Amino acid sequence: MTPMLTVENLSASYGVVRALNDISLEVNEGEMVALLGVNGAGKSTTLKSITGVLRPVKGSIKFLGQEIANGKPEATVKRGLSLVPEGREIFGTLTVEENLRLGAFVSYQRDRYKADLKEMFELFPILEERFTQPGGLLSGGEQQMLAIARALMAHPKLLMLDEPSLGLSPAMTDQIFELIKGLRDRGSTILLVEQNAERALGIVDRAYLLASGEVQYSGTAEEIRRQVDIASVYFGGDDAAPCEVTQ
Amino acid sequence: MSLLSRFLTWSRQHSTLALLMIPLVLAGLAINAFGSSLLLNIYTYFCVSLIMVLSLQMFMGNSGILNWVHIGFVGVGAYASAILSTAPMVKSMGVPNMFPALVALNMPVIPAIMIGGLIAAVLAAIIGYPLMRLSDFVGVITLFATLIVFHVIMTQWDNVTNGPRTFFGVPEFTTLTVALIGALIAIMVAYWFRESGLGLRLRASRDDRYAAMSVGIDVVRVRYYGFITSALIAGMAGGVWAHFITSFSPKAFYMSEMFILLAMLVIGGSGSISGAFMGTTFVTIAREALRQVEGTVNNAHVLPFDVFGLTEAVMAVLMITILIWRPGGVVGGQEITWPLFKRKSPIKEVEDGV
Amino acid sequence: MMNLEFMINTISLGSLYALLSLGLVLVFGILKLVNFAYGEYLMIGGYGLYFSATVLHAPWWAMVVFGILAAILTSYLSELAAFRPVRNKSANALLVTSFAVSIFLQNAVLILVSPRARAVPLPPIFSQTVNIYGAVTPVRNLLIIGTTISVLILLSLLMKKTVLGLAMRAASDKFTTTRLMGVPANLVISAAFVISGLLAGISSIFWIGRSASVDPVTGAAPLLIAFIATVVGGMHSPAGAVVGGFVYGLLFNVLSITLPASMISYRDAFMFVIVVLFLLIRPEGIIKGGYTEERVG
Repeated sequence: MTPMLTVENLSASYGVVRALNDISLEVNEGEMVALLGVNGAGKSTTLKSITGVLRPVKGSIKFLGQEIANGKPEATVKRGLSLVPEGREIFGTLTVEENLRLGAFVSYQRDRYKADLKEMFELFPILEERFTQPGGLLSGGEQQMLAIARALMAHPKLLMLDEPSLGLSPAMTDQIFELIKGLRDRGSTILLVEQNAERALGIVDRAYLLASGEVQYSGTAEEIRRQVDIASVYFGGDDAAPCEVTQ
Repeated sequence: MSLLSRFLTWSRQHSTLALLMIPLVLAGLAINAFGSSLLLNIYTYFCVSLIMVLSLQMFMGNSGILNWVHIGFVGVGAYASAILSTAPMVKSMGVPNMFPALVALNMPVIPAIMIGGLIAAVLAAIIGYPLMRLSDFVGVITLFATLIVFHVIMTQWDNVTNGPRTFFGVPEFTTLTVALIGALIAIMVAYWFRESGLGLRLRASRDDRYAAMSVGIDVVRVRYYGFITSALIAGMAGGVWAHFITSFSPKAFYMSEMFILLAMLVIGGSGSISGAFMGTTFVTIAREALRQVEGTVNNAHVLPFDVFGLTEAVMAVLMITILIWRPGGVVGGQEITWPLFKRKSPIKEVEDGV
Repeated sequence: MMNLEFMINTISLGSLYALLSLGLVLVFGILKLVNFAYGEYLMIGGYGLYFSATVLHAPWWAMVVFGILAAILTSYLSELAAFRPVRNKSANALLVTSFAVSIFLQNAVLILVSPRARAVPLPPIFSQTVNIYGAVTPVRNLLIIGTTISVLILLSLLMKKTVLGLAMRAASDKFTTTRLMGVPANLVISAAFVISGLLAGISSIFWIGRSASVDPVTGAAPLLIAFIATVVGGMHSPAGAVVGGFVYGLLFNVLSITLPASMISYRDAFMFVIVVLFLLIRPEGIIKGGYTEERVG
């Protein structure tokens, strides 16, 4: 079976600063895969390349057999890739309803939209309560739920989440991870980018560990746990320490 | 380290100066000896433009703030120097409404030019105080509006400027030699400014305002000092210009002239002295060529209308093309250094520091 | 009834200024571009009126359509030819580009038409006056007020009720994220320029209506008004532009009455000083609004 998403020998840079060096990864249908690593390891750069926000220097990105490197950001969602961006990126001046409607921008059909909204309300009851409020007034956790719901409105074949736990309280982080697990159990294919490796490994099938723009380890969650001392200073859960990255 | 090797290191470090100044002097000497009077005039004008563009570069290039009001300071310097040095007889005839105290003034040209620069600097100190506090879009718009206010005052204050009418009879002083010396000084000053602590801090504030603040740079203050220094040179450039052109009106210090200065700076690359130099050279040549075309077409009457304005229109298209093709200008924000084309620093200065 | 006259006059002036500012802010919101070519859209709109009247002998309603279309087309083409290619370059590159576009358009008109002002024949309704409870006011002023109200209503319907409006509001907030929702960047930017051109075209009718003539530098004064009004009102929301327009209109009329005759030619300078002082206290303008500073990349 060919993977849903294949990234091959991808390199990307910001000006003269090389951010990604020859990385390759795959996501199969129905799988939940994590991209782990510390700040600056190249996780977000990978997502930016996949979504067309950043033009890679070289390499190929195939989604469902189609080359998508160098595509436009607006084409991404039409292909079936939705991103829950880092920092949530809620439209603060728009209401929750409008945020969700934008999520459905490419596939808007009145009946389907109504049904989808209902589904989102079941997943995230808080959004129904806040339906007519501006997105900017929501709390961090609520905004994260809105961001996920907004991405789901497009019925993505692959859902990408960029640091969903960033800036959330531990309790809220638990809740978000529970939700993501729920999405996976419903059959969604997910690419999860996380700094919080301990937590992420608890819910994913496979993971790639990035460091200074390169894939250092890859394997099932089990294998990664065995190969790498997760709790070490390298990166970790609650006692995460600044890391030394060797060039 | 021997004196010689110290000198060699120094001159290698500052090879940009030599690379710009030597050709400027050589071309000036050649034109002075063999050139036609038209060429002499064009070269003198080129040197004067160079002073104006370099003073624009000092503030705009290093701070990244589009300084619309620059041409206004040039105008202030021009009027100040003209009023200070023109003979009372000429003034009382040419500017009938002028304040008697101003009519009486009569001083040599060089101090007049200096004082013109100082007046521009003082004015910059007054208006810069509030304006340098405003950032981004509000800053751009208010600087733009300030230029318009300058223009309003120049065209309305006929006790000083003769209003919208021409001010004439300014003593001729700026020869090719004078302009050339002025340009050489301007190159050195602009270069020194760029490399100075103030220039460095200004460039840091341009590249990342918040990062600059976080390392303790008082962004408002360095902008303020940069603004004043640039206005000082601009005012003197205005004086040098006034004693070359000898008669002028407020029109000379408004949008279309500002556009030419901007074109000179942006086409070459506002981030460096070399860029300002190259841009001025290029635009001067292009402008003279286009004027020839314009004149020929108009005189030949091949078209049913006059092509008045062709120069500006073509220049605008050229400028947009450069911005699309190389937003950092032809030179791209770096100084040209000896040996040419060899040293490429691994981290380029921000390409688009227009 | 000096007061009623003053009020109608101020509201109509404010309305015109609000329309002008709105066109500027719409583009600023999405592209973060202070568009120096904006005044030229109005100027070209004026030439649209002139040519439709003198060459085509069009009836007044067709003149209006021509004028507005000319402004929209100029705005759209400038986006296509100049702004789109430099869009992802630096903010200053965009700014300088817009100045170059402005200079280009002015000189193109200079070459192709004439440096001299051209009289624009307008329907008599523009020069008639009407008496409202003793206040004598040009009918033109009432037309401006009516037009502005309708435009504001239609525009807010467009922004609130349509998908395009939703996409434009989102793009003003977070441009890249909006693109990730599948909204084409070029679509929203072009739409902003078209609406900006539309507003310049409508303003052009009333601006030209006051002097009944147009020349290559007609765009300079309205551009400055739009600039100052938007910084006063706040560049970060359409509401700010409208409020700024009215405040600026009021300031203008108050100064016109209170300044002594000898100082009236310095009115713009006075207004500007007041504005700068105000901005020092409140740099974000009257209305803070929600537009972010994120640039299009």
